[in-house]
Amino acid sequence: MMTMEKIEKHPLFKFLRDNPKATVGIFLIAMILILTLGAPIFTKFEAGFRSDQYRVAPNGEFILGTTQLGRDVWAQTLYGGRTSLMVGVMAGVIAVTLSTIIGITAGYFGGIVDGIITTIINIAMVIPQIPLLLIIAALMGGVSPLLIGILIGFTSWAWGARVLRSQTMSIRNREFIYSAETLGESKFRRLFAEVMPNMLSMMSSAFVGTIVYAIMAQATLEYIGFGDPLSVTWGTMLYNAQNTAALQTGAWWELLGPCLGLIVLGSGLTLINFSIDELSNPKLKAQRIMAGYYKARKAEKTYAEAGAENE
Amino acid sequence: MKYIFKRLGFYLIAFVAAVTINFFIPRLMPGDPVQMYMAKLYQTSGKIDAETIAAVEKLFGFNRDQPLIQSYIEYVGNIFSGNWGISFSQFPLTVTEALSRGLNWTMFLMGTSLIISFIINNLLGILAAWKRGSRLDSVLTVGGQLMSNIPAVVLALLVSYTFARSEIFGIFPSGYAVTPLFRPANVMQYIGDVAYHAFLPVSCIVMLQLGGIMGMRANMINQLGEDYIAMGRAKGVPERKLMFSYGARNALLPVVTTFAMQVGFMLGGSLIIEVVFNYPGLGKVMLGALNSRDYPLMQGILLMSTILMLSANFLADMMLLILDPRLRKQGR
Repeated sequence: MMTMEKIEKHPLFKFLRDNPKATVGIFLIAMILILTLGAPIFTKFEAGFRSDQYRVAPNGEFILGTTQLGRDVWAQTLYGGRTSLMVGVMAGVIAVTLSTIIGITAGYFGGIVDGIITTIINIAMVIPQIPLLLIIAALMGGVSPLLIGILIGFTSWAWGARVLRSQTMSIRNREFIYSAETLGESKFRRLFAEVMPNMLSMMSSAFVGTIVYAIMAQATLEYIGFGDPLSVTWGTMLYNAQNTAALQTGAWWELLGPCLGLIVLGSGLTLINFSIDELSNPKLKAQRIMAGYYKARKAEKTYAEAGAENE
Repeated sequence: MKYIFKRLGFYLIAFVAAVTINFFIPRLMPGDPVQMYMAKLYQTSGKIDAETIAAVEKLFGFNRDQPLIQSYIEYVGNIFSGNWGISFSQFPLTVTEALSRGLNWTMFLMGTSLIISFIINNLLGILAAWKRGSRLDSVLTVGGQLMSNIPAVVLALLVSYTFARSEIFGIFPSGYAVTPLFRPANVMQYIGDVAYHAFLPVSCIVMLQLGGIMGMRANMINQLGEDYIAMGRAKGVPERKLMFSYGARNALLPVVTTFAMQVGFMLGGSLIIEVVFNYPGLGKVMLGALNSRDYPLMQGILLMSTILMLSANFLADMMLLILDPRLRKQGR
C-alpha cells in the first residue's frame, strides 16, 4: 500500500492523471517504439524472410498472414516501422532547424530582411509539396528512405518558419530583450539565448507536426512507387500490396499492418502535440477548468430538481 | 484596389518562382532528361534525327550553344505563352491538353469537398466553441484532429476496401468518375452517376479536413471574449444571433487566411485519393506521367497545381475583401 501512495504523490503520475491526452499519446508512441526497436523479441522472422506459404490469412504461425511473395506481414510491419520513424525524425529535425533559423532571423531583424524572407516563405507555401517531391523523386529514379527524409525536411519548413517569425516579432519588443541589448549582449546571443528559449514549445509542436507530415509524405511517395523497392517500410508494404492486387483479391491483412502502424503513430503524435499546446497555452488549459464548472453546474441543477420533487 | 494589386504582384512572383524551380530541377539532378527523353522517343517512334534533338532540347530549355540565362528567358516565355511542351506518354497531345483532361475532375472533387468541409468544419467549430468544455467539444476537436492526421493513402485504402470492395459494405464503385459505356437517359441520371462515383473520394477529402474544426473553435472562443459580444448580450440579442452574426462572422477571417494552406494539403491528399480510387483527375494523370517518366507532363502538373494554389489564394483574398471592410478602405 505504501508504494501505491508513493506513486500517487509522484509528480509524473500527477501530470499523467491531469493530462489524459498526453497519457494516451505517450502510451501509443511508447508501444510503437518498443515494438519496432525490439522487433526481434516480438517476431521470430527477419524482415526479408520468405516462407513457402503465399498469401495466407492470419493464423497461429503468421500473426498477420503473409504476402503474395510469402513474406510475414507482422515481421515486416515491425521492421518497417523503424525506417518510417527514422525518416520522420530526420525530416522533423531538418525542417525545424531551418524554420527556426529562418523564422527568428526574419522576425528579429525586421525591415528589408523580413520583407525578403517573408516573400520566400510565402512562395514556399504556395508551391505544392507532394507534386514537387514526386518530380524530384522521379528525376532521381527512386529514392532511399534516407533521401526521402532529407527531401521532406528541406521542403516543409515554411509553415513553421511563418509561425516562429510572428512569435519572434511579439517577443522582440519585450523588456528583457531591451535590457539584454542595453547590457551589450551580442546579436547572436540575444537571438539564441534570449529569444529562442521562449519558443521551445512552439518549436517542439512544429517538430512533432513535421514528423507526422513526413511519415505521411513518405508513405505517399512510396505508395506511388518512388521508394526503394528493396527497403522494408510501411510505404513500400502498401506499394507491394497494391501491386500484387491485394485489395482486389480480398487480402485485407496485407494492408492491416502498415495502416494500423501509420494510424497509431499519427494519433499518438497528434495527442502529444495537443498536450504541448495545452501546456504552453493557458487559454486551452482553461478548457479543463470549464469542464469542471459545467459538471458542477449540472450537479447543482439535478440537486435542485431533486429538491423540487421532494417538496 | 491597392490590396488587390499587391496580391496580384505576389502571385506573379510566386508563379515565376515555380517556373524557375521547374527550369532548374532537371539541371541539378543526376542524369540527363534530354537523353532519357530521346531514349523514350526512340522506343516509341523508332527514329531520331538532328531536327528532333534540337526540338527536344528547345523544349527543355537545354541548348548547349546559348548561355543559361537566354535558355531560361526562352523557357519562361514558352510557359507564359501556354507552350508547355509535348507529353510523350500520350504522344500527340501537348502537356496542356493532357492536363486539361484531368484538371476538370480534380477541380470538381476539390471544389465540392471544399464547400462541404467549409460548412461542416465551421458549423462544428462554432458548436464546439458554444459548448466548450463539454464532452461534445472534446470529441469534436480531438476527433477532428486525429482524423486529419491519418495519412491520405491509408484512409483512402481503408475506405476503398471497406465500402467499394468488401462483400458486405461494398456498395460504391471502386473506380472511374462515371460508369464506363454508360448512356444516361437524361441530365439527372448523369448527375446521379457522377455523384455516386464521387461520394467516396469526396468523403475521404472531407474527413481529412476535419482538423479545421479546431481552428474555427479557437477563433470563435477568442471572439466570444470580446466586448462587443458582452454588449450584444447586455442588449438582449438572442444567443443564436450572437453566435452567427456577431461571433462567427469575425471568427471566419483567420479561417479564410489559412485557406491557402488548407488547399495545399487538400491538393496533395486529393491527388493520392484519386490514385487509390482510380479517379480520372490530375492525380491519375500524374501517376501515368510518373510511371512512364514523362518529365514534361510532370513539370506541367507542378505548374498546374501551383496555379490551382494561387487561384485558391486569390479566392481567399476576394472573400477577405467581402468579409473585412477595413481592407477595402486601404489605399483610398
